[in-house]
Amino acid sequence: MDREAKLARLLEHPTIWRGRSAAHQHGLPSGFAALDAYLPGCGWPRTGLIEILVSRFGSGELYLLLPALAALTRAAAARWCVWVAPPLMPFAPALVSQGIVLDRVAVVGGARPLWAFEQVLGSGACDVALAWARWPKSREIRRLQLAAERGRTLGVLFRPRRAVREASAAVLRLSLQPISSGVRITLLKGRGAMRGAVDLLRPSWPV
Amino acid sequence: MSLHVLRATAGKADKAALPADAGGVQPRAAPLRITPRHAPGGRTGELWAGLHLPGITLEKLHKLAVCAQRFTPRVSLAPPDGLLLEVQGSLHLFAGAAGLRGALRSECRRLQVQPVLAFAPAALAALVAARAGKPLVVMDPAQLTGQLAPLPLASLRWPPDTLARLARMGVRTIGAALRLPRAGFARRVGSEQLAMLDVLTGRTPEARVTFHAPERFRRRRELDCELENQRRLAAALSPLFAELGAFLAARQCAVVEFECRFQHRHVPATRCVVRLAAPASDVRRLAALLSEQLGSLALPEPVRSCELRVEAPVACQPDSHALWQPGEHGGSAGHEAAGLIERLRARLGEDAVHGLTLCAGHRPEKAWARTAPPAAGRRGAPGGGAVVAPAQCRPLWLLPVPQPLRMRAGLPRRRGALRLVSEPERIETGWWDGGEITRDYYTAVDIHGVRLWVFRERTAPHGWYLHGVFG
Repeated sequence: MDREAKLARLLEHPTIWRGRSAAHQHGLPSGFAALDAYLPGCGWPRTGLIEILVSRFGSGELYLLLPALAALTRAAAARWCVWVAPPLMPFAPALVSQGIVLDRVAVVGGARPLWAFEQVLGSGACDVALAWARWPKSREIRRLQLAAERGRTLGVLFRPRRAVREASAAVLRLSLQPISSGVRITLLKGRGAMRGAVDLLRPSWPV
Repeated sequence: MSLHVLRATAGKADKAALPADAGGVQPRAAPLRITPRHAPGGRTGELWAGLHLPGITLEKLHKLAVCAQRFTPRVSLAPPDGLLLEVQGSLHLFAGAAGLRGALRSECRRLQVQPVLAFAPAALAALVAARAGKPLVVMDPAQLTGQLAPLPLASLRWPPDTLARLARMGVRTIGAALRLPRAGFARRVGSEQLAMLDVLTGRTPEARVTFHAPERFRRRRELDCELENQRRLAAALSPLFAELGAFLAARQCAVVEFECRFQHRHVPATRCVVRLAAPASDVRRLAALLSEQLGSLALPEPVRSCELRVEAPVACQPDSHALWQPGEHGGSAGHEAAGLIERLRARLGEDAVHGLTLCAGHRPEKAWARTAPPAAGRRGAPGGGAVVAPAQCRPLWLLPVPQPLRMRAGLPRRRGALRLVSEPERIETGWWDGGEITRDYYTAVDIHGVRLWVFRERTAPHGWYLHGVFG
């Protein structure tokens, strides 16, 4: 018996716990094959808070999520897709042409985006909620993560890229960087995740 | 054989059961004597006051019916312009029919309507006499038919062609119609009309629906000491909410809107109105919503007493709960959605939550609109109804107003030169309503790789503007 087979047999022992087994198994397909292969659980998590760090607003962070949003709003028993305090108004014709059902979309404005985001995540009325926040404290992010688990909701928080070095309670953290041929995604944190980065190239980009 | 056995046991069971059921009362006691409430010959022992109120609105009629409940509990509406009161029991309280007539007239005068009043032992007779403009007072049922005879048939409000046919036969008054043979009348005019004549003369009693005033909830609580702290105020309101819960549960009602009033020593009361997205009967939720609003309420002075008001509770059926939690095994959101909207609105304001919809139009600013937030269970056609999305590529974000861009050598700049990467798309429309646009739209990429939607005006200054971001 060679060494690899021996090692595999040893690792099957039930008392040995491996990091990869902590990854959730049935992720939400992101719509990009390269990204699915890269993300733990073969897609976005269905519950919990994810953070997407972008260097500049409009670097392509929203297109990354659109296929998943379209699939969620088209499901038979779809709950809401809520946009909390978006920096600009989402343009309805573009959302429809990307396959999102507008009947399931709600926009929340107002003065307290983080409070509203926590209410939305914890209510159980939404499948997915998106929010834009500048400087949330780590304690607030932990509250958001707990609220998302309570409401079985996927929360997406967009933050500036300067927050890369901060600790965060989010399930998944990604950093996004536009490159000449598309966009480069680096995984900063994820349960049972691989290291490295993945490039999504412009041809697979729906623009 | 078996049948006999069965019968025998059944009989035995009956006999055994009887004394136990009767509870000691002898089954062969004297038969129950029923005093006939309706005396023979149609005497019902009732006296109806009929009010004809020409030109009254339905709202005023309801108001008058509420006021009329001080004369008798048996008030009945005869829309659109009639009201009936059974006043036999209250005649002696108002010194007879004349006194009652005066009291009813002054009640009508307060609402600025001019009534015609008639009294008769049958409800329909009183109403018909009032409609005919005859202020009859008929106390004796025996005189009813004679008094009704000269009234015109038109006041019965039968269909016009029926009345016209009777008029051609020379039948114009109620008396003439009553003299016709019953069988022939039913065949030629209709059995419905014959039944109506019977009700009119008191031959058959009429069952009228009694009017019930809409219920409302108002409870007031004097506080032991003057309070200013919002949290303690919310605690002071909790007994009122408990009462409201019992009120709603007893009537199977729900609340869509409620009001809380706080009285002060010197200044007028502070009002706090809470509107709900869907009817709710859970008082804990109502109390939580109110305390949300109290947080943003500025009280001018300490509060001496508080009052909880629900003006119009709506009937509701308690809804069944889903087996799965929302999001679990594809369970959808039911009442969570309505609760979320209310919480957000209570803290952030009425227009904090909205939905999106498409509008037909080529101008980007007018291609979408805000709507009410999506309802929990509703699902429309994908794509937001009849309007189809444009085939051209559109940015995910739209600026509320186009933002002017600086130019160098005829090309737009924004933190560096912009690179145009698409063919122009010309949008030239809106000349009919004054909002005319003539623009060439391009997709541009800035030096950081962000894709923008820019346009160049085709009219004189030929300026460049930023209108969207692709995201």
